[in-house]
Amino acid sequence: MSAIIIPSLGPLHLQVLILVLLVGGGVFFVLRRRRTRQREDGDRGTSSEGSPGAPGEGADVTVLGPSAQAVASTSAAAVAPEHSPRAEGAATGPSGRTRGVTFGDGERDGWAVETHGLTKRFDTTVAVDDVELLVSRGSAFGYLGPNGAGKTTLIRTLLGLTKADGGTMSLLDIPVPHERREALARVGAIVDEPRFHPHLTGRENLRLLAEARGGEANERIGPSLARVGLAERGDDKVSSYSMGMRQRLGVAACLLADPELLILDEPMNGLDPAGMHDMREMIESLVEEGRTVMLSSHLLDEVERTCDAVAIVDQGHVIRQGTIEELVHGAGTLVVRVECGDPSAAQQAIDRSGLAAGTSLTASGVTVTFRTGSSRADIDELTKRLVEAGVAVYGLQQVQTSLEDWFLTVTSRLGGEG
Amino acid sequence: MSTIEAVVRPPSESRPSPTSPLRRMAAAWPTWGLVTTKNLELRRRRGLMIAVFVLILGPPVLEYGFRLLFHVVDPSTYGPAGTPSAFQDLLTPMVELGFIISVTVGAAAGTTDLTDGMFRHLVITGRSRVALFLARIPAGLAILLPVMAFAFTLCCLVTSFEGVPNPTAVSINNGVSVPVNLSESQFQTWIYQHPREAPEAFPRGPGHFVDDISVANGSTSSRYAAYTSVEATLNPSVNEMLKIGLWLELVVGVGFVVGLGFGALTGQRTVTTIVLIALQVIVTPIFDRAHIPFFINGQRLLVGVALDQLQPADLASGAGGGGGGGGGPLHFGGGGGPTGISPMPTWAMILVIVGWIVGWSVIGGWRMATRDA
Repeated sequence: MSAIIIPSLGPLHLQVLILVLLVGGGVFFVLRRRRTRQREDGDRGTSSEGSPGAPGEGADVTVLGPSAQAVASTSAAAVAPEHSPRAEGAATGPSGRTRGVTFGDGERDGWAVETHGLTKRFDTTVAVDDVELLVSRGSAFGYLGPNGAGKTTLIRTLLGLTKADGGTMSLLDIPVPHERREALARVGAIVDEPRFHPHLTGRENLRLLAEARGGEANERIGPSLARVGLAERGDDKVSSYSMGMRQRLGVAACLLADPELLILDEPMNGLDPAGMHDMREMIESLVEEGRTVMLSSHLLDEVERTCDAVAIVDQGHVIRQGTIEELVHGAGTLVVRVECGDPSAAQQAIDRSGLAAGTSLTASGVTVTFRTGSSRADIDELTKRLVEAGVAVYGLQQVQTSLEDWFLTVTSRLGGEG
Repeated sequence: MSTIEAVVRPPSESRPSPTSPLRRMAAAWPTWGLVTTKNLELRRRRGLMIAVFVLILGPPVLEYGFRLLFHVVDPSTYGPAGTPSAFQDLLTPMVELGFIISVTVGAAAGTTDLTDGMFRHLVITGRSRVALFLARIPAGLAILLPVMAFAFTLCCLVTSFEGVPNPTAVSINNGVSVPVNLSESQFQTWIYQHPREAPEAFPRGPGHFVDDISVANGSTSSRYAAYTSVEATLNPSVNEMLKIGLWLELVVGVGFVVGLGFGALTGQRTVTTIVLIALQVIVTPIFDRAHIPFFINGQRLLVGVALDQLQPADLASGAGGGGGGGGGPLHFGGGGGPTGISPMPTWAMILVIVGWIVGWSVIGGWRMATRDA
């Protein structure tokens, strides 16, 4: 009988075991090293922001953070897109910043968002009801409606987060969902409350999203954090962030795409007044760079302050859409306050003229609400009638109808019809 | 280097060209960067990682730590730490706990984006949802497999260096010695070369290892099974260690993928973890040991049963289960798992295991692709 002597553990055993250890350790090492390199890349992105060698170089860009801090300064003209309505010198709106994007611009430059007959149902509830929407490029567009009107559902449908039940849509003239990946390549969005992995830092969360986006997104992590004022807190865990900081991190996540279109769902939610101010400034600066911002909100005041154009939505259906001026004037509520010597005589003269839909006496005069379709010529006619009636007119002031007034008028009218 | 404020391009320049179907398919494949960030996302879950290390590394570290300590303090009372029985005994909790923690990690990987609200951020990037799902598989395995490999290596090192040296031959019956570590063909050769010793070493008839029929047929399979069962009381050979190590990695890998797929399907980490642990610790042992005549094929479809049957011979013999009884050598050269049901063919075991891996990957990927974000 032959006996084979085999030691319990020879050199071969040891080699195999060490190999197992090395493979395991190697995987960890490679992953760690790669992560470190990515972090370094991100940090380089932060530190070299606005460096002369950056693309778009030579440009003087004023980078406004949430606190309106100038991070770098240069000329905006070289930065804004060639076809940006802003860059072409549009009219100035009531807030003093560049305004005046009309819906006609989209026919020339293409639409940032375009939907036709878009419908989304949840069982028997129609959340998005045959929505026709046109958002021109380079504008700030408000999607305004009360809670439960279907604003978030529309945004989720546009972004492919949920499937539409009918209709067509396109983002930046690219049909979705057919070419969703191509369309979303230049779209940034915040849907609902911005939530991130709480156990990761802000920078790590952005890295996660940047890797999913691919391309140059990784290089934009540092600049994005700086842009939203989170450069100092980027390495803190998100669990330690306030609501406002998460909103800003959400915007930073949008910026990773270097987006032409930003879709922000209720961006002012949960923000204190200072945070709202910062967010408003950020949106304005993004629009001034030629990007399109579409935001949903139930805050009339915010939409009026921030947006050029607006769509009013109720129960999933778009009631009206247009520029804010168009909508307000379209309501036909031309109101003039008349300061005069004899208010009663003035009221009688105005009633006799047939120009007014209604009048009301005030301490110093009369408030006149003109008939629907009235124009500024009617104010001139009113003045003549008062002078002919011998009323001493001290002053005439057109009362600015707010979007809120208009919105309440529309909704009450609909309520009355209902 | 591009800065955010400097890279807005006119619409005409910025539109990406439409992709071909081939490129779309390629887009469904996860990138290395995506895998590493998914790995990072899991690694940064401190509680989960502690659980991984405690459950996988804990048993060998504690067991061998104490044994080594006792042996050093009082060698006359406490023998060497790395005995074959300690090795065998340790593998059972390592398998069970390894499966449980891999299921837990899989469930976390499959649900964390949903529960943390990151899923919609990721979908908005335009990246294929399938790619987002598939990236989690290597990301999770890159955590579990090395840890299990390290734990098992520890067992092997202690067994090899701090154990009793293996004899060169084992005494089977009637004082007949047979060399250790023989493959079945080598064993067959030994039988033919030792016509007188073989019947003495492996007597036939009731109460003995070898049945009359196999002897009459000239088959050595039942003799080899008897030989491996005796040999299993020794330190496993390096081949066996390698087989056992690979099998442990397979168990962990299967647990992770099943947890991932099931987690992606339900979207709920706790439910997934509880259901799969129940499957492993309640249903699988029952199906392993019970013989339900009209449901035998259903029993075999359970991945735990297939994995148990596929386990290497040393481990199966040492586990001392119901005994598969006389089946041919299994995939890893084993002699049948500790099951109460008759062993499956190797191809069937592999088919069941691959079916579970592929099946749950497809289900998880499909759910991720169709889920509302």
